[in-house]
Amino acid sequence: MPAALARLTSHGTDRRAAADEFRARHHGGVIGYVGADVPVEYLTAAGLLPLRLSGSPGDPSTAGDRCLGTGLDPAARSVLTRLLEGGFGTLDGIVVSRDCEASLRLFYALRELRRVDPALALPPVHLVDVLHLPHRTTTRYVRAKLGQLRATVETWAGRPIDDTALADAITAHDRLRALLTEVAALRRSHPARLTGTQALAVVAATTALPVGRATALLEALLAEADQLPEHEGLRVFLTGSPHDTGHVYTALEDRGLLVVGEDHDWGDLLSLRRTAAPTEAALAERYQHNGPAAPRASIRARAAHTRRAARECGAQALVGYARVRDDAPGWDYPAQREATGLPAVQLSRQPYGALGDGAAEALAELTGARVRAEAAR
Amino acid sequence: MSAARLASAAAATAHQRQWFAGLREEVADGGDLALVNADAPQEIFRAMGIPYVVNQWWSSIVTAKRRAQDYLGLLRERGYPDDSEQYSSIPLASVFDPDPANAPWGGLPRPSIVLAETTGDASRKIFDLWDSQLGVSFYPLESAAENDVPVRWWELMPRDWERAVGSDRLDLMTGELEGLIRFLEQTTGRVFSETRFAEVMTLVNEQQEWNRRTRDLIARARPCPLPVNDSIPSVMIPQWHRGTTWARDAARAFHDEVAERVSTGTAVCPGERARLMWIGRGLWFDLDFYRRFEESHGAVFVWSMYLAIAADGYLRHGGDPLRALAARFAAFSDQLYTPPWSAEWYVKEARHHGVDGVVHLVSDDARGSYFTTRALQAAGIPVLELHADNVDARSADGDALTRTVGDWLDRHVLAGD
Ligand code: SF4
Ligand code: SF4
Repeated sequence: MPAALARLTSHGTDRRAAADEFRARHHGGVIGYVGADVPVEYLTAAGLLPLRLSGSPGDPSTAGDRCLGTGLDPAARSVLTRLLEGGFGTLDGIVVSRDCEASLRLFYALRELRRVDPALALPPVHLVDVLHLPHRTTTRYVRAKLGQLRATVETWAGRPIDDTALADAITAHDRLRALLTEVAALRRSHPARLTGTQALAVVAATTALPVGRATALLEALLAEADQLPEHEGLRVFLTGSPHDTGHVYTALEDRGLLVVGEDHDWGDLLSLRRTAAPTEAALAERYQHNGPAAPRASIRARAAHTRRAARECGAQALVGYARVRDDAPGWDYPAQREATGLPAVQLSRQPYGALGDGAAEALAELTGARVRAEAAR
Repeated sequence: MSAARLASAAAATAHQRQWFAGLREEVADGGDLALVNADAPQEIFRAMGIPYVVNQWWSSIVTAKRRAQDYLGLLRERGYPDDSEQYSSIPLASVFDPDPANAPWGGLPRPSIVLAETTGDASRKIFDLWDSQLGVSFYPLESAAENDVPVRWWELMPRDWERAVGSDRLDLMTGELEGLIRFLEQTTGRVFSETRFAEVMTLVNEQQEWNRRTRDLIARARPCPLPVNDSIPSVMIPQWHRGTTWARDAARAFHDEVAERVSTGTAVCPGERARLMWIGRGLWFDLDFYRRFEESHGAVFVWSMYLAIAADGYLRHGGDPLRALAARFAAFSDQLYTPPWSAEWYVKEARHHGVDGVVHLVSDDARGSYFTTRALQAAGIPVLELHADNVDARSADGDALTRTVGDWLDRHVLAGD
């Protein structure tokens, strides 16, 4: 595997490595964060490393299940379990966004555990309540919440964030987003130069590395694009739950599918929206209008986005994957299927990080339908 | 002396029927109708004279008439989940009912406006589907959350609500309510009068003050003067009508009736040995459940959230009336479901009522349950967690529930007697 891709996929999977190194080498603080609605620009500007927290599907989530109840998205329960077990290494703070209900409840659990069980020695936790209705009232609120986050991050860093540093961080993260879009083109090309699993790992790596390092590795990846092998498969667009690990992508691609695009924020959706100007006001708008993610966007906005994105990817089929207890995707799916007009399967109540019973048959039907369609042509 | 059914409960139920029949006629004549979520600011509709039905009330009617499964099936047929937010989604299914004439209470008339906060991940989607129905507009409100809150909210809310809720959330919701008023003025042609609105807000506070007195009476009374499920209609039906003189007077009549029972020593269960608290939504499919342990164990449910949240959750005195209304709803469900608010409040109520044990219904979408149980246990109160979804009768087995509660009473609540 070419060197940049190898490094990126390794950081996408071993998500702690860069944080451990950052701490050892720069003596810098590491801040864990939950959800794509956390404005990481503030952390970068304060000289802290933002590390997006992910779950671990193979491991039991006993402590998380107990605190959050089993009625909540297992990914969030897994994140809480790993936090309580110290699975992310030392964290100097945690920022949680409101990207979905599970994240909010995870925040409440952390806040309450800190209050009633100080012996756990959890790091300080901050909720950044970025909301998404497309109204001016919401913009003003989000600005206030960003101001609040800025003040907390300044306390954690022990120094003020000056406007120049913030502007530089905004520019740096937008540059990273632009490069991610170029990388996404590699998986959409005919033939594809990246598998969906690889693309997902590359995006994940950029949420574990310092932004400068992530940018350099993406540039190196784009420079070595010619050496990347070609990939075949039924080109599918994946909608539904977000994937904080590559397990489901691997399972899908092992069955002859090629995930050429998705509409969740551990994938393409993460880099979709840019910041209009390097200012705090523009940053608030960027995060307010971030998405459209399943738990926050309207059915209409989701269907329109999925239709456009699936077309841009040259997808031949739509796969809806909804994890058990992830409530939003099931309501979106009928409109998405209709809007894309593609052959589609819906996999509901899927276990965390895996395909459930019956998924294999449903997917085989999809690949079978394509074989039949090609034969008829 | 054993207790007969409350007159105020019967009166409220009768009023509700009559009101609903009148509403159906009004809407049939082409009037506007709003469908609003329980935790949304209905007072604006009241002040403007726009009739409304509360989404969760209608859901409870459908469920009580044992039609919930049919309605969930109608959603399933259209490819929508039947296992997510059923309490909110059941009324949506009424739109798809092939035989609306046979729906409970003659059926839910089609609303022209639906109002809800964007809580959870799915509830706004349910209202998106309402919005895609011909002639229905959805007005969404943000559901905002605060990073840091003062713990003892019930002491602050009545007058110092600005501090309890936080100014950012109040700015947001006040702005949204101004938008709602403009939207309603424009779509219904009705007028929003500040004078009328202030009256409505005063009536609501008066009503909740009566509820507060009633709650305090019941908390102190020994033995318990009324069955907990009887108090539900006496509190909730007026709650759906809050902002009217009928509702305020109904809350007072309920209070007077309870006071009368207390003074005559009326007992739900003359051999009262254990006072219990019920945490969670009502078991709509099995309301008799609450009384099943009186004869066998002398155990009486003295508390449910309906009266208690009416007593503590709604009062907002002083300040600008629109901002006070925002303060009523900007953090409404946090009071019940979000620690530390929820957990500490249940402990405070348990102590106030002198309960010997708590039965805690942990449903699938229960929020903060772990911390509630933990806080009660830390306060030395025995807790039994039941796991069931109150609306969806598929997931609960009545006999097993009865056995579980009976065993727990024997072992943990009455063992020291
Ligand atoms: S990014 Fe840094 S830590 Fe990662 S492989 Fe490269 S040098 Fe090593
Ligand atoms: S509160 Fe502590 S002991 Fe209890 S489940 Fe959570 S981490 Fe475990």
